[in-house]
Amino acid sequence: MRTKQTLLMVCLLGAALPAASFDLGKIDLDKAVKTVQKVQKANTEIDEPQEIMLGDGIASNLLGAAPLLDNPPVQRYVNRVGRWLASQTERPDLPWLFGVLDDNDVNAFATPGGKVFVTKGLLVRMNSEAELAGVLAHEMSHVLRKHHLQAIRKGAQAELLTDLANDAIREKGGDPRLTKLVSAGTEVYARGLDKNDEYEADRMGVVIAARGGYDPYGLPAVLQTLQALNPADSNVALMFKTHPALDDRLGRLDDLLASGFEGLEGQPALEARFARELAAGRK
Amino acid sequence: MRNIIALCLLFGFAPAVWAEGYAYTIRATELKAKPYGDAQTLTTLPPRSKVEVLERRSGWTQVKSASFSGWVKMLALQLESNAQSKRGDTGLRSLFNVASTGKSGSTVTTGVRGLSEEQLKNAKPDAKALQAARRNAVSKQDAQRYAAEGKLEAQSIDYVSGGR
Repeated sequence: MRTKQTLLMVCLLGAALPAASFDLGKIDLDKAVKTVQKVQKANTEIDEPQEIMLGDGIASNLLGAAPLLDNPPVQRYVNRVGRWLASQTERPDLPWLFGVLDDNDVNAFATPGGKVFVTKGLLVRMNSEAELAGVLAHEMSHVLRKHHLQAIRKGAQAELLTDLANDAIREKGGDPRLTKLVSAGTEVYARGLDKNDEYEADRMGVVIAARGGYDPYGLPAVLQTLQALNPADSNVALMFKTHPALDDRLGRLDDLLASGFEGLEGQPALEARFARELAAGRK
Repeated sequence: MRNIIALCLLFGFAPAVWAEGYAYTIRATELKAKPYGDAQTLTTLPPRSKVEVLERRSGWTQVKSASFSGWVKMLALQLESNAQSKRGDTGLRSLFNVASTGKSGSTVTTGVRGLSEEQLKNAKPDAKALQAARRNAVSKQDAQRYAAEGKLEAQSIDYVSGGR
């Protein structure tokens, strides 16, 4: 509120300037400029290190909800696929990390700054590396476009995000406001993202997987598999609740893929490698 | 190919080339002799035609019925949601001890951990698990080498804006 008042005053001052003479003290002008800069920063997004820090906090929460699958070969496999895809994006140098959660729920999550998780329940319903790539690329798109930050901004704790951007939250030493912000960030996964953000992630996911040289139909194939699951099953409840209807998503992807992806149908899906890598990780 | 099938048999997989279950067409769609847009059109299937699904190859699904067989656009199909559908069950579920779906409420979500709405809202952080996850991270170079092993070739493709 105080920043708003300051902004208003600065604006008034600025509007009055042309009419006023230029004998306003130089010091005052400097001060005004500095105030404007500060107010501007309050309105800008958090920077990348802050984004990563917030995302890591959320990732810790997700891992508190569901443990990591204790299967290093499978974890490494998923990281190899994901890291290759990340190199095809506009943010190749984020500290990307991929993981399989040991949970039968069918779902996938990404946190700000580049942590991406897929559940065991979803992984075992896939048939190829291209399908895995499609799902990872969909999640990565949420990171690339900062969809979760936008969702936090629309929530009750939006102010805390502004405080973080404005350096008003201490990032070390367990500032309770940071814990609160991380909790608010985690709640986004229970609430779901904006529908349009999901559609965008579907479109981008198909493109990123295709950029990685994969069959672009991996993501739609997974969605088609999910469409055939029983929506009354508790393992799909949250995923169904937090995403637009699969008929709708598949229809949109049908339109997308009919517009210039025909030439990419020969790209590999790597079914055999997928089966081999998952079988190798068998206990 | 024979190796894959052998491997699949060894681990109890049902390879994708086998019957995957049933599906029906969600719109009128051309039945093609081969999985290509410019392949010969055998007939046009009306909406709600029931077909048996054999195999998927990129955007095409091989289907058959008593009176025909051929390839249709994958997204012209909706897979039948019944317990008989093999799609999405490559045997990996039993491999990773994942219960099959179909039963409602088969998982009790009253425990502390889990990914239900309530559990996510009450999640407690596990920073050590994140540290452990980092040990599985791979370098860009390693990922690139692995992609090359799979004969994946990077392509330059622009993002597409929303159409609907």
